[in-house]
Amino acid sequence: MIIKTVTLTVQSRREQEMIDVTPEVQRVIAESGCQEGLVNVMTMHTSSSLLVTEGLPCLEEDILAHLSKLCPSEGNYLHRRYLDIDGRIGFNADAHLKSVLGGISCSFAISKGKMVKGGRQTIYFVEYDGPLSREYVVQVMGK
Amino acid sequence: MIDFHTHPVLVEEIVGDDEEMVRVTHDVFFIRNRLQPLETFHLELDVCGIGRAVIAPIDATAAKGVKIFSNEQIAQLCAMSNRFIGFASVDPHDPNAPRQLEDAVVRLSLRGLKLSPSMQEFAAGDRKLAYPVYEAASALKVPVLMHCGMTWAPRCKSTNPMALEEVAHDFPELKLVIAHFGWPWVHETAMLLLKYENLFADTSCLYFGAPWEFMRHVFGGQLPLTLVERSLRTKIVFGSDYPRVEIKNMVRAVRELGLSEGALEMIFSKNARYLLGEAEASYK
Repeated sequence: MIIKTVTLTVQSRREQEMIDVTPEVQRVIAESGCQEGLVNVMTMHTSSSLLVTEGLPCLEEDILAHLSKLCPSEGNYLHRRYLDIDGRIGFNADAHLKSVLGGISCSFAISKGKMVKGGRQTIYFVEYDGPLSREYVVQVMGK
Repeated sequence: MIDFHTHPVLVEEIVGDDEEMVRVTHDVFFIRNRLQPLETFHLELDVCGIGRAVIAPIDATAAKGVKIFSNEQIAQLCAMSNRFIGFASVDPHDPNAPRQLEDAVVRLSLRGLKLSPSMQEFAAGDRKLAYPVYEAASALKVPVLMHCGMTWAPRCKSTNPMALEEVAHDFPELKLVIAHFGWPWVHETAMLLLKYENLFADTSCLYFGAPWEFMRHVFGGQLPLTLVERSLRTKIVFGSDYPRVEIKNMVRAVRELGLSEGALEMIFSKNARYLLGEAEASYK
């Protein structure tokens, strides 16, 4: 049985951004030696997402724009108050809501040492509150 | 454009694995977010069009037994990035404070002084402790960024901007900046800015709501926007208090107030450049 857990860092460069992390996930699988199993990818932050969609720049823009319509930064949020846990005001409720809608993880099967995914499926780390240095975890389980 | 009020307390390259510095950031400065690489600070400036940022330490040796960055560490950070304008801090309780300030300005090339009466536990009008430091700052021609208004540290009483009236009067050559616009004493701050040529204030006030809500509450609510546009635009500098607030959010909040482009130019750039000795005063 192989279980390999790797924490990776990604630097977002804009306030909102979709970053293709598919090659990094494939690299972790290859390095794990796993032939048959499962890979799970999860963001470590509650104002970001880990989601899968077709890897096209137009879709990246559409997804971010649509989430911004659903969760506008100008909304009336209870989160806008002093948060002792951070030592500052929380005013990124919109980013948290987008994270909830986008989801925080994805899983793929591994077969013959490769990730089993559709040709157009791309794994994105999605930033809603950048620019920030972020972390996500890739865990490979199998044999 | 210049951000006149930031603290580099989350910069990984300088805090690193220093457990004591992490503790001080958490327990004394009350910021509990995770560290970020210097690149994030640069990107934070980039996304909102800010070119340079004042980075300020606080020397609270006598009151808290700590420095939230030494002047040397601030100089080290400035050596890593030409986008930083390093300020010094000295502890007014230390009899050597004036000489330390001179050393920070002359040897380390720091360009201003940060003081916090609440965190450093001194009275801004204290002639024995504070005046020698003001005298040194005035002689060195460096501005003083003074924490005023609400503080998460104890003793808000010491942070009423009215305490600076006598200082402004006694040191007419000293440029003093009332941080956080002195909130909640914004009327007092406005009065002082109107009255004293050498008093300024920064925009870094945010204690509830979103930045754009709070800015509208202060400028346009508590104070008429026309007061800012007609009289105070020459006396206000943009400050974010990053990382207490993201710079991008404060920039947006100030931009959305509805001030003229001319006023915004003064607030985001010209007034700060004057304080730093890089430009003529807006009001001249």
